[in-house]
Amino acid sequence: MAVLSAAGADAKPLDIGAMVKEAGLAGLIAFGLAFGLVGFETLDVPGGLAINTRFDDVAAVVVLTILGRIAMILLREHRPLLVAVIGLPFSVVLIVSLVFGWWTYFLPFSSAMVGWIVALMAAVFSLRAINALSHGDTVASREQREKTMDRIGARVQTAAKYVGPLLLAFAIILPFLPFADRRILDIGILVVTYIMLGWGLNIVVGLAGLLDLGYVAFYAVGSYSYALLALHLDMGFWVCLPFAGFMAALTGVILGFPVLRLRGDYLAIVTLGFGEIIRVILLNWYEFTGGPDGLSGIPRPTFFGLEFKRFAPEGMDTFHTFFGLEYSPIQRIIFLYYLILVMALITNLFTMRIRRLPVGRAWEALREDEIACRSLGINPRNTKLTAFGIGAMFAGFAGSFFATRQGFISPESFTFIESAIILAVVVLGGMGSQIGVVFAAILLIGLPEIFRDLQQYRMLAFGSAMVLIMIWRPSGLLAHREPTLLLNDGKSKPQETS
Amino acid sequence: MSVAEDLSVAKTLLNVEHLTMRFGGLVAINDVSFAATDNEITAIIGPNGAGKTTVFNCLTGFYKPTVGRLTLNHPSRPYQLEQMEGYLIAQRAGVARTFQNIRLFPAMSVLENLIVAQHNRLMQASGFTVLGLLGLSSYRHAEREAVDYCRYWLDRVRLTDRADWNAGNLPYGAQRRLEIARAMCTRPNLLCLDEPAAGLNPRESDELNELLTFIRDEHKIGVLLIEHDMSVVMEISDHIVVLDYGQKISDGTPDYVRNDPAVIRAYLGEDEEEGGS
Repeated sequence: MAVLSAAGADAKPLDIGAMVKEAGLAGLIAFGLAFGLVGFETLDVPGGLAINTRFDDVAAVVVLTILGRIAMILLREHRPLLVAVIGLPFSVVLIVSLVFGWWTYFLPFSSAMVGWIVALMAAVFSLRAINALSHGDTVASREQREKTMDRIGARVQTAAKYVGPLLLAFAIILPFLPFADRRILDIGILVVTYIMLGWGLNIVVGLAGLLDLGYVAFYAVGSYSYALLALHLDMGFWVCLPFAGFMAALTGVILGFPVLRLRGDYLAIVTLGFGEIIRVILLNWYEFTGGPDGLSGIPRPTFFGLEFKRFAPEGMDTFHTFFGLEYSPIQRIIFLYYLILVMALITNLFTMRIRRLPVGRAWEALREDEIACRSLGINPRNTKLTAFGIGAMFAGFAGSFFATRQGFISPESFTFIESAIILAVVVLGGMGSQIGVVFAAILLIGLPEIFRDLQQYRMLAFGSAMVLIMIWRPSGLLAHREPTLLLNDGKSKPQETS
Repeated sequence: MSVAEDLSVAKTLLNVEHLTMRFGGLVAINDVSFAATDNEITAIIGPNGAGKTTVFNCLTGFYKPTVGRLTLNHPSRPYQLEQMEGYLIAQRAGVARTFQNIRLFPAMSVLENLIVAQHNRLMQASGFTVLGLLGLSSYRHAEREAVDYCRYWLDRVRLTDRADWNAGNLPYGAQRRLEIARAMCTRPNLLCLDEPAAGLNPRESDELNELLTFIRDEHKIGVLLIEHDMSVVMEISDHIVVLDYGQKISDGTPDYVRNDPAVIRAYLGEDEEEGGS
């Protein structure tokens, strides 16, 4: 130990006591979390529920946490050699055994996925240690890291000119790629829906700086508007779509009017409350909304009047007979995919355009400094209301798409967690960044769907990903703002933050 | 007497009458009256806590005065500022202000800061967004005009080559100048500057003097100025109002104020008669 510790550049004596204490504390926290969450499992047995204990898993979690913490401390105290010497063989052995399926001999976990996570963690630690050994320094300072990420953000933003069309091209040909089965398309629809919602909320949160925790309420209003109009008045999807958007915008303005005097946290809490109020109304107004039973039998969208059915109703044509295709249920899925893609793109075009208009600039100015805005003669109330209303409108469009895709809606679909996920997409992407929303939606919605094999660890991984991003990049992945107007055409480069 | 008074009201740009502002039991301003004229720089000076910034906040609608009448004689019609909402004072009556602690839009570019100041004009040109969304040429034309006006002010405050920087990255003195330019981009009738020379070095103060004289002489508007830096105040003001403990203690030309015993007493303290404590 003493020999190894000489590796550090400025080797202070390692305080073993403090290290043990810190690692022990981390282990204790891990124990506290894991004991309840991991330690017990309920099982369905004939005649009721039984409790299965998994204390071996708890022990493994605690030991791994302590080891990881020790590795962190050693890296921090400039002793990377020890971490590299132990971590590298460990991760290599683990990865090899995972690849060949021998991992059951090493690890007590029931899923290979957990083994992969442990292996990756060990690999990250040892890579950092090796990096430290070759470069002399262990951890990049926070500012350095921020600066690097800012540069990456700026580069991605400029690359968005090329990345955007590439992603778009990929999105367009996705349904015709060989691996695009129904599951992939469903994930695609889900991701694009969240991208659209993210872009809509980006107007409110990213541009106008109003923290809205009740965004899903407008999504619900759009869904129910379409469903109720279609069921009671027998109106088609395309007729209802603008109406659903209008209803959502109206709700946004009505809700916005009393709450926009509030700022920051207070606004967030009140919007959260309004979001819940809408859901509770939907839940309890049984005669109108069907309450917890929801609304079912919502009509599917048609392709200019052509339905996606095997057999046409009286006097109508179906999509596949009109175009002389073989009937296949995937045609409807592909159509839905393109529908939401087009709607999302319209949202994006609208936002990009409005950012360059006076009202868009006023939103951003309002986010920066409301008092200065007032002193320049900008009406803060109207400006905020337009942001709230337009953001809500796009949620309404997305909501009516949701209703027509599912064919069934109930208040269950519009809980707070939805608002939180949409907000997470916006914040994670970097507030105000359009391309950031795309990446964040793929990361937050797409990956958990793909990693469904992780089962109950899925949400754990989601949470830890959020924590990691908050540590590494609190301002969002791609938080970089391009001015809406250039005077010198970029000849004098806007210089870095001082 | 009343005829003469009426005449003076017609001539002045801003008329403050019996302005009183109370915060609970604290009287921040007590029955202050003064006037400011077009084409003139009026300075409001006084020791710390005299109520200067409170006067500004009443004028620009951030506070509603407890008592008093604030009349702004706009070329088209007079406005009673004490009855108007804050943003309307800037929008309709044309009173622009800067802040003691600079309030720019730090994450927006210098040019965008000036464009935002022309919000109302551009909003109309964009047909309240609808026409602008359609990309009509009339809006693009209006935007180009707005940029030209920004360029005029950028040249004036020597920020043209840094127009695409984020405003928050500018050095302190440049931020002060930008804030004045931004206020001017609203095309005001009365410009209120809250300690524009605070934190500037002597060379920057001289430039500020030049800028303010330029605004007065070329744009023919009234300038109201709160300032501690006497080199600025005495050199460029046409008219000085002195406040102390919320009261007006002197009002007149720089020479008159400089020699007014009441002012000297407020700044340098009373004679020894007050004694201990």
